[in-house]
Amino acid sequence: MAILVDHDNKVLVQGITGHQGQYHTQAMLNFGTNVVGGVTPGKGGQEVHGKPVFNTVQEAVDATGANSTCVLVPRKFAFGAVKDAIEAGIQLHVVITEHIPVHDVMKFVRAAIDAGQRVIGPNCPGVASPGKGKIGILPDNIFKQGNVGVVSRSGTLTYEIVNSISEYGLGQSTCVGLGGDPVTGTSFIDTLQMFEADPETKQMVLVGEIGGSAEEEAAAYVKDNVTKPVFAYIAGRSAPPGKTMGHAGAIVSGAKGDAASKIAALEAAGIAVAVWPVDIPRLILGEL
Amino acid sequence: MRLYEFEGKEIFKRHGIPVPESYLVKNADDLASVPDDFYPAMAKAQALVGGRGKAGGIVKVSDGAEAARAVERIMSTRLRGYDVASVLLEKMESVVDEVYVAVTIDRFEHKLVMIGSPMGGVDVETASKEHPEAFHKIWLDPEQEVEPYMGRELAHRMGFTGKQMASVGSIAVKLYKAFKASDGKLCEINPIGVKEDGSLTALDAVFNVDTDAFYRHPEFKEMGIESGRHEEGELTPNEAKARDAGFPYVDLDGDIGTFPGGAGFGIASIDLIHIYGGKAANFMDSGGAPSQEKLRAMLGLLLDDPKVKVIFGARFGGISRCDDWATAVVQFIQENHPKKPMVMRMTGNMEAEGRRIIEEAKANEPELFDKITIYPYTTPIEEVVQEAIAVAKAEGGEA
Repeated sequence: MAILVDHDNKVLVQGITGHQGQYHTQAMLNFGTNVVGGVTPGKGGQEVHGKPVFNTVQEAVDATGANSTCVLVPRKFAFGAVKDAIEAGIQLHVVITEHIPVHDVMKFVRAAIDAGQRVIGPNCPGVASPGKGKIGILPDNIFKQGNVGVVSRSGTLTYEIVNSISEYGLGQSTCVGLGGDPVTGTSFIDTLQMFEADPETKQMVLVGEIGGSAEEEAAAYVKDNVTKPVFAYIAGRSAPPGKTMGHAGAIVSGAKGDAASKIAALEAAGIAVAVWPVDIPRLILGEL
Repeated sequence: MRLYEFEGKEIFKRHGIPVPESYLVKNADDLASVPDDFYPAMAKAQALVGGRGKAGGIVKVSDGAEAARAVERIMSTRLRGYDVASVLLEKMESVVDEVYVAVTIDRFEHKLVMIGSPMGGVDVETASKEHPEAFHKIWLDPEQEVEPYMGRELAHRMGFTGKQMASVGSIAVKLYKAFKASDGKLCEINPIGVKEDGSLTALDAVFNVDTDAFYRHPEFKEMGIESGRHEEGELTPNEAKARDAGFPYVDLDGDIGTFPGGAGFGIASIDLIHIYGGKAANFMDSGGAPSQEKLRAMLGLLLDDPKVKVIFGARFGGISRCDDWATAVVQFIQENHPKKPMVMRMTGNMEAEGRRIIEEAKANEPELFDKITIYPYTTPIEEVVQEAIAVAKAEGGEA
């Protein structure tokens, strides 16, 4: 089981012939991912790491039966690349590319939802299910197979938390990086719902940061719909209002979206909130 | 990115939304071209911040002499820390009613939404919480074309009938088109003034556009709208330097300079420093796989900043490897001979290689690395943070 990525994903890499595409295709193969090929318009017929390159997603799907894609194309081509994959019937679109115009993101996310498909990202590190595969750019060496489902808005912070979970002898069922943009294809709530239904996931970890209201909404959802234990970490307790820190989403405006209100909402929903990321495994183990 | 009111109104005009007659001025001399019968008028500070009226940035002027005094005063002030770029002198409009229309993004539904309310000219954030029933919404699929009937429907729900329903509806439709055509993130007219004769005029304009879509809007450049305009008030000298070097940086008021890897991790480091009773001097973010040049620019900012007593660094080598990080740190130290202590922790990808680079440099020039400690993964980050705080204190910091 696990969620989103398991042994059934046949993965395409869109932008496979580029520098990033080649590098991360190898990393995904090393992780055990079933990469069946890639797409770069105009470069069909080539091979990358022994995998065939196609001109269009439809051509790739017809030849390989691909059902998932990792989008690593430059942002000006991202909209066309995702639409191409949606029309070819790909079920899971992991969009790594950052700085895609938000109107384009809305259009392809809406189109995917209407087609019954799922988008992760954009501007995200991707999805990894240790022992099964990963779609994205998450580092390989921090994971360990286990039962903790991790969902996050931040990249580097996720790596730190995943690593500490592994260091404490626990492991992950799946780790999902949602992306730092204000509009994303998949939300905390969508992911928590999948973890709740996944028999391999025993606990969930939610990694949030200041700005927006996604964590508050997730807290309300957990209260009414989630039976498994949920643990959380929120970055930005000491952030001053009105300053953007890193991600477009990470800004406190007035009292809205600050760490205190998020932590209060999570705790009110019965979620234990860690003071520091590495406390997460100790909370799970009941040491704190 | 937020546009100035006059820029938003220029886009409104291009889309057929009526706005008051106006002059854009920067000093009293610019008023020479304004005819006497233009007055009374409103002098409005052009600054990228809300609540301009309350802050004294919007005043009524009844003749040229009053206008000159107002312009001089407004141009010499700063609104809540924000620069005033110019003054928009608008012909006074006498209105009998004020309503609210906006277009924005619904990130849950992945749709665009038109919002209308009869409650115009007030603090909408408060009003929409206290009277949610007075704020009417129509959602559109992002690929869908807006139709005149949608605007009329919105105006009808706002309480308009007859001709006014059509004219308010038409403004909502035009605003929607302006929003889409400009890659808007938020477009708000608060208020639309309804004049005695029933005609309408946009009395204010809030227009936020998507910086990521700037490349496909040459018209912004023609209008003198530059990408990368800051939204957060005046940049400090450090923030400006960082922007030029291509990384996000925010000045804070402490004495511990932070040199993290990654935005989320950077924010978390600052939290940890505060938890242990220290104060961070800054936030910054290298981004994924930063160049040696960028890492050195980041360290340079902290080194040159007199308020920074100690540099705290933490590198979790994922996409950005420890050996690259160590090389940048070592070269920086060799080139700049920093006097400031550095307390760092390095772990992750290529950690052993990174450690070898540092040990070698240390063995060659031990005096350079006197005040520099780089801890491995076995030292918990909490201890490294406490060490940095202790060093800051010893160096005469306030922490």
